[in-house]
Formats: sequence, structure tokens, C-alpha cells
Amino acid sequence: MKRKIRAGFTPGLASALVLTGLFLGGCATLGLEKPKSALTPTDRGTVIYKDEYEFKRPAADWLLLKNLEGGDFELGFMKIEKGPFPTQSTFIYDDQPFGSSPDLETRAKQYCTRFLFNSGVLPDIKEQLNIHLWGQPAIAIYLEGENPNRDEKAKSLVYLVKKGDRIISFALTQWRPMKGTHDQAAFIQFEAFVQSFKFLKKSFYENFEDRLNKLGP
Amino acid sequence: MDGHQRDLYLYERLNAKVLGVSMDDVTTNKYFAQSLWLEFPLISNTLAWMGKAYGAYSDKPPFGPDGSLLTFSRLTVVIDQKGIVRYVKKGSPNNQEILELLLKLGKEFRGK
Repeated sequence: MKRKIRAGFTPGLASALVLTGLFLGGCATLGLEKPKSALTPTDRGTVIYKDEYEFKRPAADWLLLKNLEGGDFELGFMKIEKGPFPTQSTFIYDDQPFGSSPDLETRAKQYCTRFLFNSGVLPDIKEQLNIHLWGQPAIAIYLEGENPNRDEKAKSLVYLVKKGDRIISFALTQWRPMKGTHDQAAFIQFEAFVQSFKFLKKSFYENFEDRLNKLGP
Repeated sequence: MDGHQRDLYLYERLNAKVLGVSMDDVTTNKYFAQSLWLEFPLISNTLAWMGKAYGAYSDKPPFGPDGSLLTFSRLTVVIDQKGIVRYVKKGSPNNQEILELLLKLGKEFRGK
């Protein structure tokens, strides 16, 4: 199942948007409400997303990524780095990471065969550690890879975390030109995001299992 | 396929079995299943009759007018234990929707 982030633009769509803009401009005087932000700030220095997740938001130059029509992740942030080479850092939370095994070690193996597979980079695992995240068993995977054809390289940190019967993931990837250097700033923001992450609601699967248990054998 | 493999433990609890069907030959399916660590059977339907019967193939013959091989489009079909087709959906599978349906069918068959 592939999820899409849309960034395309067509002339037809552009005209439609201009027209829509004109109509909305007319509506503004009628008191049309400003769209509500997807992130609601709390007095704890965190934000709440879709009433489901609470976490520390990265700095304002990190843009919230949202899925259209489902996607490869549940939510994420992206920072475009200014400069002569198109580089970016992206991090995501995914409730259904690559692979299928509920066992962390096996899932890590499955995950790494697919991670960044569309980018032309075959990342090497530099380090893999068994850790705990919010008291849950987890694996941290540090990866690095290069794509000489596009003159770029990537450095990633992935957390696979046990959550009930399933596994969820957090992944950061920082893209840089081959001769560029990676910096720690993105990793610090990512770490704060992950460490502060809280689930405010039961997931679909947790609710489903409750209902299944009620159904009986 | 990953999604179905992830949810296999739930399908089993709902007495549901997953079968994948493709037009690829057995060897191709074997390696495909290995690459995704799939534990459910894949049916090699090279003559395409299953795809045609369930609508993954429209009404087209296996070969286009130019001789090119046509393949199945993605389709999810849920068949209940009486053999009645209860769900058909084109495109990527929506696992949550499928699980909800299986739960509903489970209740129906248990009379709950």
C-alpha cells in the first residue's frame, strides 16, 4: 500500500484555484473562518495532532507533512535546507512500518530491506541497538547510504518500538550533497519529538482487538 | 501484501484465510513471497481464469491486440463461508475496512 504526498500543479488546476480564490475572497467579508491548524498547542510546551498524538513540535522551520489518500506514514515533519543543492531532512511517525513480523529483531531485518528503497540509496546499517523507549522494548538503527547518480547521501535513524501486539516506527533521514556534511540539529529535534511522543487514544488495532475479545473464541 | 501479513493473526482469530492470486508463475510467486516474508498461500493463475471470474481482469483477454501480456489489476474479494462474495474493492486493500467486515461476518455467523 503506497501513500502519496501531493505536490503537483497543472495549468487547469491553477485556473480553478484562481477562480476559487476569487470566490473565497468574496466570502471573506461574510466572515469565513480561517482554517484551524492541525496542531493544537498545550500549556505543557507540546502540541496535539488530530486529538490522537501529543508531542514536542520541532522548530517552526520544520513543516508538518500530511498524508493524502493514506500514505507511508501517519505524520511527519520536513525541513528544506537552503543552498545550491536541494537537500532536506524529514522525519515521520508510522503506525505500520515496512515488514510484518511482530518480533523486533525480525522486523528490523525486514524493515531495512525496504527502507529508502525508492530513493536509489542502499543504506548500510552502521549500528543497531536494543533499547527501551517510554519503557517499551525498541530497536534503534543507525543507517547511512549514498546515491552517486544523484550526487547525494543520506543519514538515518530509525526506531522500531513494540506497541501491544504490533510494531510502530519513527524515522529521520537527512539528505545532503555527497561532499556536504551531516549536522546534529535535525537529530536533536527528532529525538525531542520521539521522546515526548504520547498516544492520546487507542489505535484502530487496539480497539479492534478489544472488540474481538468481546466476540469470544 | 505486507498489510495482510501484518494482520494475519487477526484474520486467523476471525477464522478467515488469505489467498493471494497473481498471473505470475509458481517460481516468481515463490521468490515474491520470500522477499515479503509472506506466510499465506499465493496462487499462480497463469491462465487468468480466477482474475476474470472475480473481475480483476475486466473482460479483456490475457493478451492485448499487440500481443502484449495484460496483468490483473489490484482487487480485494471477501468470500464468506457459504461461498458468497461479500466484498469487492479495486485498488490497494483497505485492511481496516476488511477487518471491520470480517468482524461483522463473524457476528452474523455466530448469531450475535
